Amino acid sequence: MVVGIKDGIKLIGISIVCFCAVFVCTFMLNYYLDVLPLEETLTDSAMTALYNAQLATAKFTSVITGGVLAAIALIMLFFYIKLYIDSHSQQLGIVKAFGYSRGKIAGSFWVFGLSVFIGCALGFCIGWAFMRSIYDDLTIEGMGEIAINFHWELLALLVFIPTTVFTALACLYAYCALRRPVLQLLKGKSERISARKEKERKERPFIWQMCIKTLSSKKSLVFFVAFSCFCFSAMVQMGLSMENLTSATMGYMILLIGLILAIVTMFMAITTLINGNKKNISVMKAFGYSIKECSLSILGGYAPFALLGFGLGSVYQYGLLKIMINVVFANVEIVPEYKFDVPVFFLTLALFAICYLALMLVYSFKINKISVKEVMIEN
Amino acid sequence: MIKAENVVKTYNSQEVLKGISLEIYDGEFVVILGASGSGKSTLLSILSGLEKADGGHIECNGVCLDALKDDQLTAFRKEQIGFIFQQYYLLSHLNVEDNVKLGANLANNKDYRQIIEAVGLKDKLKSKPSALSGGEQQRVCIARALAKNPKILFLDEPTGALDEVTGREVLDYISKLQKERGFTVVMVTHNVNIADMAEKVVKMNSGKIVEIYQNSARKSAYEIGW
Ligand SMILES: Nc1ncnc2c1ncn2[C@@H]1O[C@H](COP(=O)(O)OP(=O)(O)O)[C@@H](O)[C@H]1O
Ligand SMILES: [Mg+2]
Repeated sequence: MVVGIKDGIKLIGISIVCFCAVFVCTFMLNYYLDVLPLEETLTDSAMTALYNAQLATAKFTSVITGGVLAAIALIMLFFYIKLYIDSHSQQLGIVKAFGYSRGKIAGSFWVFGLSVFIGCALGFCIGWAFMRSIYDDLTIEGMGEIAINFHWELLALLVFIPTTVFTALACLYAYCALRRPVLQLLKGKSERISARKEKERKERPFIWQMCIKTLSSKKSLVFFVAFSCFCFSAMVQMGLSMENLTSATMGYMILLIGLILAIVTMFMAITTLINGNKKNISVMKAFGYSIKECSLSILGGYAPFALLGFGLGSVYQYGLLKIMINVVFANVEIVPEYKFDVPVFFLTLALFAICYLALMLVYSFKINKISVKEVMIEN
Repeated sequence: MIKAENVVKTYNSQEVLKGISLEIYDGEFVVILGASGSGKSTLLSILSGLEKADGGHIECNGVCLDALKDDQLTAFRKEQIGFIFQQYYLLSHLNVEDNVKLGANLANNKDYRQIIEAVGLKDKLKSKPSALSGGEQQRVCIARALAKNPKILFLDEPTGALDEVTGREVLDYISKLQKERGFTVVMVTHNVNIADMAEKVVKMNSGKIVEIYQNSARKSAYEIGW
């Protein structure tokens, strides 16, 4: 009753991350489980080597994507719930004032599990839709067509268990977050009144100061911005240089997932930033600051972390591919050559710059649309 | 009955309540009067178990609030207390009926529609708070608070955001329903005129009670000045 169903399924970011994770894991693990019992049918050593390589690919990919994306989804979930509690603190406060117990209020946060369920269920279904073409892509020469079997345990592992665990964690997190006293909730904003005075700082340009203030008020967004750029850099480069390592389809799939993840997290981060700073922006606009200065003062502080994420992504994908080649092709005689792909790096960097400019353009429009009057009337 | 003895509250080394002693009897209509910043809201939140005092004793309908933990205070409020604030704090995604249900559920009260009718909102049952005027929103708050059958109703500047006409209307609903149902009312205000509606007036100034007096006759919401 306290948290609406609508609030629960609004978390499209989480749905998409869950979708990607479950999508990849569905066909990879299904393939793994279907190929595993075929060991007896192996006839020669070349076949055995390929068989081991394919099994390792399946296991490696699903563990890496599943693990990383589950962690991201969890961080996103906590982030969203904190945002929800902050922005609805007065309503939660009055409910607590009336005498609803903490457990009862936290219980209504189960709806946040819905977005996890939607993402996982869709991922599972779409994963099945692609199953045949993936199997064809990962054939083992001499073994013929591999039969597709349905595995109940995968449905549980990839859809029901994540939904249950995430729902439970959502309620638990809310339970802890609702420890705040009623009056603090009613007064709104969780900003602590620190007894300590602000340190005297050197006089800096105002816009620069605003950058730092925005950054320190929303530190968790640093992670999402950096992660988004990390994803973009790592997965686009990996996708592009994957072509000559495994298959083109796999390459494109990784590229696509990387782009989706990067866009979703970046979109979430910037929307949160702009919405959270509407008042500041509208006041700055009213005083005559230009759109450019406004967006710089809100988003500028995050730019170094975006570049950092990009750099880390490049290093990460290089390392991961190196390891993967060593694991997957451990028993194969002709190990494919892999060096850091410089042209691909610059191509990705160019793409990154284009996306950055496009994003800035979109959000300039968005900032332009914020009207001073509208924001002031709200309170 | 509420009994406060020598209640002290300090925020960041600023003493906001400096030893408040007070008795409020069952069914009484009490107004706490004082200028802005005199500590009225702080006193109200301590008497109603929203916050804990730093010193002194508070007993409310036989429950000693001094040693209760947060969860126990919540249970206490569930049993005994209703709230109406200047900011309505309605749940924006719920309609009028569901907002009132929020209170009714706590007391397993199935007759909440009757109370919606009593505050004149029968034909607004399905409206969202954003579609209501300030006076109507405050009436929803009255219905929500009374639907949980509180023994004591606490009000913090309930007419602070309302104009004269709607303010009188809201106060009239409150005093009418109090006479019908006989719960205790503790209302905080800085409007001297509203004190004429009370049986007992508690005057505060910078964290201390300066005067407690009894009105010989209670005025209605339409007889007081504004
Ligand atoms: N949570 C708080 N933290 C710090 N100071 C507070 C807090 N709540 C109230 N105060 C201070 O206590 C004093 C009395 O506040 P309050 O009880 O709200 O007065 P009133 O309701 O009579 O206007 C004010 O000076 C206010 O600044
Ligand atoms: Mg006050």
